[in-house]
Amino acid sequence: MWASCRRLRALRHWSYERRETALCALSLLLVCVLSACAFVLPAALLLPLAGLNGLLVIHGLLRRGSIWGVLKLGLVQLSITLSLYLILYGVEHLAQGAVVVARIILATIPGWWLCITAAPERIGEVLSAFLPTKWAFVVAASLSLLPYMADEIREIYQIQCLRGARITPKALRNPKNWSELVYCVLFPVLIQLLKLSRQMAVAAQSRHFGLAQRPTHWHSSRDKND
Amino acid sequence: MKLLALEGVSFNYGSQLPTVLQEVNLAIGTGQCHCVSGPTGSGKSSLLNLLAGVLNRPHEGDIWRYPQLVTGLVMQDPQTQLLRQTVGAEVAFALENLGIPAEKMLPKVQLALRRVGLYLRLDTQVSTLSLGQKYRLMIAAQLVCEPHLLLLDEPWAQLDDHGVSELLVVLRNLIQDGMALVLVEHNAAAFAEIIQHYWQLEVGKLSEGIYTVNDAPQVEAPAWRNQPKFEHLGKVLVSAEAFDFGFDACPMLFACPQGFQLQAGEIVTLVGDNGSGKTSLLKTIAGVLSSRQRLPLKVLGRRPKLGIYGAELGLLMQRPSRQLFETSVLAEMQFSLRRFELPKERAAQMLDELDLFSLAQLSPHKLSYGQQHLIALASLACLRPKVLLLDDPLAGMDKHYYGKVWYLLKRLSSQGCAILLSSHRSIEHSAVSRQLSLRNGLLVEELIETGERYVG
Repeated sequence: MWASCRRLRALRHWSYERRETALCALSLLLVCVLSACAFVLPAALLLPLAGLNGLLVIHGLLRRGSIWGVLKLGLVQLSITLSLYLILYGVEHLAQGAVVVARIILATIPGWWLCITAAPERIGEVLSAFLPTKWAFVVAASLSLLPYMADEIREIYQIQCLRGARITPKALRNPKNWSELVYCVLFPVLIQLLKLSRQMAVAAQSRHFGLAQRPTHWHSSRDKND
Repeated sequence: MKLLALEGVSFNYGSQLPTVLQEVNLAIGTGQCHCVSGPTGSGKSSLLNLLAGVLNRPHEGDIWRYPQLVTGLVMQDPQTQLLRQTVGAEVAFALENLGIPAEKMLPKVQLALRRVGLYLRLDTQVSTLSLGQKYRLMIAAQLVCEPHLLLLDEPWAQLDDHGVSELLVVLRNLIQDGMALVLVEHNAAAFAEIIQHYWQLEVGKLSEGIYTVNDAPQVEAPAWRNQPKFEHLGKVLVSAEAFDFGFDACPMLFACPQGFQLQAGEIVTLVGDNGSGKTSLLKTIAGVLSSRQRLPLKVLGRRPKLGIYGAELGLLMQRPSRQLFETSVLAEMQFSLRRFELPKERAAQMLDELDLFSLAQLSPHKLSYGQQHLIALASLACLRPKVLLLDDPLAGMDKHYYGKVWYLLKRLSSQGCAILLSSHRSIEHSAVSRQLSLRNGLLVEELIETGERYVG
């Protein structure tokens, strides 16, 4: 009786874990399809796609995700693209520029939603089914790193502003100063990324990364608290 | 039982570069605790990596390891070692790599967390933990594999006093359980009760004993000491009335019932535990952190906003090596001088004064941690700001660079600069005028003890 109970519990437990992995795999597939659609669908079908993306945004916001980063990216993209279209093609082609930006945003939103709803290690587990373990780890670690790197970029930008770099929003209205943004912010960020990736590689190595041919995967359910 | 032995080990990062370790001999047995101290950039972290077996470069000499030796390495900055987003997943990472079945992970993860005194839900987001908790999480992430040898890189610099005392309890228990421990630590005294063997690493040589600074820099400079001191005192540069501080849509972080002031020429310390809100307060004063809540705060007569103060306000954030991007130290120091149209010669003068002119043409990325830190601070000092905010500028500094930092701060103070520097432990230094204490959710002024104590 006791043994059958334990088997039943184990079965329920495993079905939960499999369900979690399967859900992540489906999410990943959905994201790939939606992002691809943003680029390949004709402009007339972008509105229904925007509707689907709207549902993802609502779900992401309900999961306490912040959409500000995507919105800011969209605004910057919109201002740069429209300015270029205005200079190169004139006012009559501005709508085309807006469609290009809309496609980029629609391709970004599913990725944002996935980052909020799926744990990076679960994405890594799904990817490890058809990618080498090391590649799957790199993808999962990169996703985990995104919030940290966003903070780093913000702080480096602020430090350089305080040091007098001509990269404040007002200064960046002048395209002459754009190179300073690359020089003062992107270079240090790249150097940080290189240092960080080396340190993370050591951290992973010190925790036996690459030892097992087929690594296993941690699943945490809500009731597993200490 | 002997776990690991180095015999005549020499090592460097390239044939053209100086040797990091020279003829190093070291033997580590079960239940032993070794402490290695030495100046910054002397190769202590490289030694730990070598002991952990994660240094993928050839070396000379013999390294003998107990056949089934399992080592655990916790590096300096826990933030750069976090590979997962939740506490449970972070600790379980090593088990995944060992191929432990998922259903057997849970008790091991729970035990490891209990051993370091972390009683948290397994789905707790790692980003919500304090630095001290993250450091203990990193130890748990190693303990889960039951290592025979645990290697810790400068825990004292990362943790506040409360975190250190908690860590001491954990380490004492681990040693009693037979685990061997190697600490790399500037402040060996903080762990004196568990250390059995002291080593000093200098110029690649490892010898027995505690590292002491022989070439402590001149900390008093006659040229500016003789200036009529404190003539600028009394001029309020930063003032805040009573306020409650917190982030948007989050509970209050701390309250400041009496407000505070910063006057020209004084050095004020802001002391509080990890995660108490020191960095956020400094960023708010500099105008870097903006929230919907408007604090009754005035800096140089204006409400703080990013970039409005020009050269009059300087902020040195943690890990200042992040701001370096020029190809030489001199160019790096001249960058702000050029942007604020100040005399470029100040950079060379400053390097000369700090006895660092030999670094002028070197790439700032090739400098040691202490040198990078000092160059970043010197870049700000060149501007002769009226207000200088420093976020934990003494963390991880060896005594040599610690002395140079104080030299710079005293120099700026004599020029009328108001300095606010944060630290996670009290700074007892004769140059400090006042201490703002951030404890139990309250920011208040506290009396300070006189005398000097190393807090690097």
